[in-house]
Amino acid sequence: MTQEQIIEKLRAMMRKSSQAQVDWDAINAGSPIASLGFDSLSILDLVYDIQQELGIEFEAEELVNVRTVGQLAAFLEDKQK
Amino acid sequence: MNDRRVVVSGIGVVSALGLDEETFWQNMIAGKCGIRQISAFDLTDYKARNGSEVNNEQLASVMKTRQIGNSDRAIDLAMTASFEALESSGMNPANPSPQNIEMAVIIGSGAGCNQTMSAAHEAYETKGFKSVRPTIIPRSMANAISSQISMKFKFTGPNYVVVSACTSATTAIGIAYRMIKSGIVDLAITGGTDTVFERRIYAGWTKLGVMSTNPVPEKSCRPFDRDRDGCVLGEGAGILVLESLESALRRKVRIRGEICGFGESSDASHITHPSPEGQALAIRNALKSAGMTPKDIGFINAHGTATRTNDECESKSIRLAMETETDRIPVASNKSFFGHTLGASGAIETIVTLLGLEKKIVPANLNLDNPDPQCNLNFVGKEPMPLADKTAMKNSFGFGGNNAVLVLRRHEG
Repeated sequence: MTQEQIIEKLRAMMRKSSQAQVDWDAINAGSPIASLGFDSLSILDLVYDIQQELGIEFEAEELVNVRTVGQLAAFLEDKQK
Repeated sequence: MNDRRVVVSGIGVVSALGLDEETFWQNMIAGKCGIRQISAFDLTDYKARNGSEVNNEQLASVMKTRQIGNSDRAIDLAMTASFEALESSGMNPANPSPQNIEMAVIIGSGAGCNQTMSAAHEAYETKGFKSVRPTIIPRSMANAISSQISMKFKFTGPNYVVVSACTSATTAIGIAYRMIKSGIVDLAITGGTDTVFERRIYAGWTKLGVMSTNPVPEKSCRPFDRDRDGCVLGEGAGILVLESLESALRRKVRIRGEICGFGESSDASHITHPSPEGQALAIRNALKSAGMTPKDIGFINAHGTATRTNDECESKSIRLAMETETDRIPVASNKSFFGHTLGASGAIETIVTLLGLEKKIVPANLNLDNPDPQCNLNFVGKEPMPLADKTAMKNSFGFGGNNAVLVLRRHEG
């Protein structure tokens, strides 16, 4: 799965567990995750949804340096290999 | 502080008979039944096949319009009914006040967020440890229902869920009534929510031996009828906004009725088999709380589950407590319309009673073709009945020997 395809999937998953009013169609690789309406609890749900959807395993701590949607997609693309 | 009068200023209901008060009431007065064959899961192994389910498409549509996010189904039902109750009480639930309101949130539920927990169990059993969602605990704890309502609408009074099986909602309303009456809070949102159409939980119900196996859904729930063969379960939520009379007058809101008494008791005998003495004690306590006698009661909205045991027992309880007035007081059960909604039933049926007092007409006993001689009461017939009296009683009795009774009055302001 390419980064673009992963971003497309992330957009749908984030829309589901975010608590903010966000223009999801405008989300791109440069969008900061901190602006998308996740708190310490809902980010756990997002990580869970990603793992279930993409069938990969990782610890939430591995995302500590991930800031943008593009960085998250790159991390997930790497994990898929 | 002297005891204060407690009035109802908001009503919200979600049921198989409608997702708003008006539709729900019109369907009841028209004699429409919301019981169908259960659609939520495969019924191959189940003998009891009927239920009263909330329409999924309609629920999704209302939730989308009101921007209510999906959560556990019990929360979805309660949140949807809360929105209507708050709106009808002159508040703006879509845009909660930035100044938080010290409003209590007291909600009853017998089974709580059971569907979320069941899904987690299924995931664990089929896919193992890694499939467990990390937020399963805050999503499925019983008090998530009241907490989510408190957070959504920014209510900062006490919030909790009352769990007492089929009396949960009635007890919740009673607690909220006492809080306002005694001056702890001015406002409360209260009622109940429950949903049981999950195959594992429903398997327990169908094996308990209390469920109707009547093959005709619309005829299957027959409270007090000679040919009744058990209860039919339903899902739904009933939510009320209660407030002190002073608060309602200050806010200039439409008053829908008054809660004027609450009584409760425990059978202290058997976990499922009810006791006439225990139930009669709750009825007497409710009358005492309202400062009334049986002569003051003009209508009884019975628990009336349509099990052989409940209906016989409740008939004895009413006769014990209401004494010689029993033959005068009309009695109806609403469950033939929308089944037994368990921890929501007390609230939904309190709403029916309040609407009946307000509109001076009570819905029929839909399937009461041949009243059981063992249930010797003065029943409302198969058509709606005019109601001139201004005071009514709502009974709720639950597994665990929990008994709760409310006294309600028409508001004539």
